[in-house]
Amino acid sequence: MVDSRRLDLLDPAEVARLGGIEIVAQGVVEGFLAGIHRSPFRGFSVEFTEHRAYQPGDELRYLDWKILARADRLFVKQFEEETNLRAMILLDASRSMAWRGDPARLTKRGYADRLVAALALILLRQRDATGLMTFDEAVRQVIPARVKAGQWTRLVRGLIDTPDGLGTAAEAALRQLAGLLARRGLVVLVSDLLLDRELALTALRYLRHRGHQVIVLHVMDPAELDLAGPPEVRFRDPESAASVVVRPRELAGAYAATVRREIAGWRTACRRHGVAYHHIRTDMPFGMALRLLA
Amino acid sequence: MTFLHPLALLGLAAAALPALLHLLERRTPPEAEFPPLRYLRDAERQSARRLRLRHLLLLILRTALVAVIVLAAARPIVPTGRGGGGGGGGGGGRSGAVHAPTALAVVLDNSLSAGAVVDGRPVLDRLKALARASLAQATAGDRLWLVLADGVARAGSREALLASADGATATPQRLELVPAVERAARLVAAEPLPAREVHVLSDLQRTALGTGTVDVPDVALLVLAPPERVPANRGVAAARAGEGGLGLTIAVSGTPGAGAAPLVARLQAPGNDPAGGRAREVGRTLAAPGQSVTLPLPPLAPGWWMGEVWLDADELRGDDRRLFVVRVAPPASVAADAGVGPFVAAALAVLRVAKRVTTGGGVSIGERLGAAHSVVLPPGDPALLGQVNRALSARGVRWHFGAPGPPGTIASADLAMVRGVQVNRRYRLEGTEGDSGVVATVSGEPWLVRDGGVVLVGSRLDTTWTALPAAPGFVPFVDALANRIARGEALVAEAVGVPRVQFVTRGADTVGATVFGPDPRESDLTPGTPDELHRSFPGARVLDEAGLAAERFAGARRADVSGLLLGFALLLAAIELAVASMSR
Repeated sequence: MVDSRRLDLLDPAEVARLGGIEIVAQGVVEGFLAGIHRSPFRGFSVEFTEHRAYQPGDELRYLDWKILARADRLFVKQFEEETNLRAMILLDASRSMAWRGDPARLTKRGYADRLVAALALILLRQRDATGLMTFDEAVRQVIPARVKAGQWTRLVRGLIDTPDGLGTAAEAALRQLAGLLARRGLVVLVSDLLLDRELALTALRYLRHRGHQVIVLHVMDPAELDLAGPPEVRFRDPESAASVVVRPRELAGAYAATVRREIAGWRTACRRHGVAYHHIRTDMPFGMALRLLA
Repeated sequence: MTFLHPLALLGLAAAALPALLHLLERRTPPEAEFPPLRYLRDAERQSARRLRLRHLLLLILRTALVAVIVLAAARPIVPTGRGGGGGGGGGGGRSGAVHAPTALAVVLDNSLSAGAVVDGRPVLDRLKALARASLAQATAGDRLWLVLADGVARAGSREALLASADGATATPQRLELVPAVERAARLVAAEPLPAREVHVLSDLQRTALGTGTVDVPDVALLVLAPPERVPANRGVAAARAGEGGLGLTIAVSGTPGAGAAPLVARLQAPGNDPAGGRAREVGRTLAAPGQSVTLPLPPLAPGWWMGEVWLDADELRGDDRRLFVVRVAPPASVAADAGVGPFVAAALAVLRVAKRVTTGGGVSIGERLGAAHSVVLPPGDPALLGQVNRALSARGVRWHFGAPGPPGTIASADLAMVRGVQVNRRYRLEGTEGDSGVVATVSGEPWLVRDGGVVLVGSRLDTTWTALPAAPGFVPFVDALANRIARGEALVAEAVGVPRVQFVTRGADTVGATVFGPDPRESDLTPGTPDELHRSFPGARVLDEAGLAAERFAGARRADVSGLLLGFALLLAAIELAVASMSR
């Protein structure tokens, strides 16, 4: 049973308690679409159809400036969605994604599953062919992009059937994905980006070089942004089993600066290579995360 | 630097606690998963040097904090040099100012002169207040003595000596100031303490200074300056009755320049206290300091008479009264043989007229031993000397005539009338019991001795042997010889002490008396001049009351820096807090 409230704007953990991934994703998408009244995804996948007279409330970005310049009249452009967009969503299923800093929150993987399901549902409703690839240190699941009925269910099943993995090897998955996408399409990487940035960027640059639109969703738990804990603690990396003894209080400042620098580094590098980058916290409502993609 | 509570320094071991806690704390930290370990390592790598410095700084700060608190608890004392108030007053001892362990002797002159009233207040009260102030500032680490007029150095605790000083009253005793200060200085000089002081609290009478000098190195000698105003004072220095109570000689002492004052002599019948109401006045006269007057006494019946001489009251009451004793013995019955010479015979004739002696066999004077009391003169014929000596030996007399001795002058404490009289010829008097029984000497050798009832004279009482027969004191000498010395009666002695009379008895008879009174030199209140003080106490600092308060323990004055250390500990704690809570 989907809550009648706007699930896209509620606390993700609270929303997750309402049901399985499908139910939550559907509820989120319904709320999200009801809020914006039309598909937020525009671009080369949609084509211009006609002009109509400007009415108050229309977005200025669709105003046809050329007509305004020639005839001094206000017209807005209208578009028609295409059905031949091929979107592939890459989900990082490594061990680090199965972590949360607070039991009251979703794990990064839990958050990413629901976000990916909602995103896939929106794309499929637009009749875009949508596929899924999950990976950890190797590619675990590959569901080719299709638009036929039952595709969303398969995608959700693919999410559910992908267990938490071990390490992270995004560049290998991205290179494999490049082989799968014969035509230009949309690639969405959902990961905590605890991986080798240079290797991953090389792969993303290759995708961009092949003409794909690439979006990176950097999922982070709030506890990863600010260091906290007992006076002294031994932190262990769940993927490599490496550990380090630190005093969170005295290292918190330097850590926060490092994280901010890392995020800024990803953002800068992605922008330089034409890759859209969005930083998403697991306490962020799903609707806000989806709006970042609009 | 010294510590008031040195045992607290054991707590310095606690300074190792921060390091130990640091090591213990590192043992088993809790473990937790944290995926972005790479960020953590980057942050740690970038902050490693800063964190190491911070840890080191915190360790140093915490160790120093503990050490400083322990040091403060041990109450460290550091020298602060001379100057600054001493807290004076003597109220509560330490008032923040402390000093190094000091050997301190306080010389409190509570002699009779300290009883003088100056500006409405006894001098002794002022001296006691200053002594209390000196002692009250002493600490447990000090070694203390209190020297009073008796010259005895009393060692004791601060409280005990404070009680002694508080209880001191003016005594008739005279304080020989220079020897007393010298002893005190040597006492404190012998103490192995960082500082040594002697505080001299006296009215600094000139007569108390004497001719000595106090010069003990490494001892700070603080002398209270003498009072600026000296009251005129008179005192009865002496009151002595002549042999047989023929007259009463009164000497008056006091501050030079003080005018004459009336004095009254009263006499009490034997067996009664002269202070009682039954004393009768026997004379009244005027006398100034330095004068001596003689009052005639009325004929007195045989016995021991007590009397007193009173002066009008002045600022020093303790010397305004002096007791005296008159011994009136029954006239001795004297028999002189032909060999005694004309001078003795003449003197006895005078004494018979004056009813001081009678004719009889009670006392024999001559060249031979008599049956009872005998005064034996050397025989005119030297050949008889052996016979006399054998007779003396047979009687059991421990003295005998020896070889002729050199001439000289007579010295005697008992017979004032013969002192300084020349002796040309004499026999040495030799005894077997040392100097026992010697009454007079010539050139340090016995000249007049008494043993039992026998008196030996070293010279014949003839002008070819001695000038004594021609001296004014010859008749009184013969009187004393017959009535007192031969009969074994002691002279009325005088001693310094609380005014009183002590009688000496032999069996049922009274044979002597000692009259106690104040030392007559105490009556002169004139203080020593600066030159005299400098001569007596070279190197001493003569200070007024304020100066004394400021200079007490000044050479050893130290400050308790525990408060400063606690402040420093507070500062360290604040820095530690700031460093510990510093996030970057």
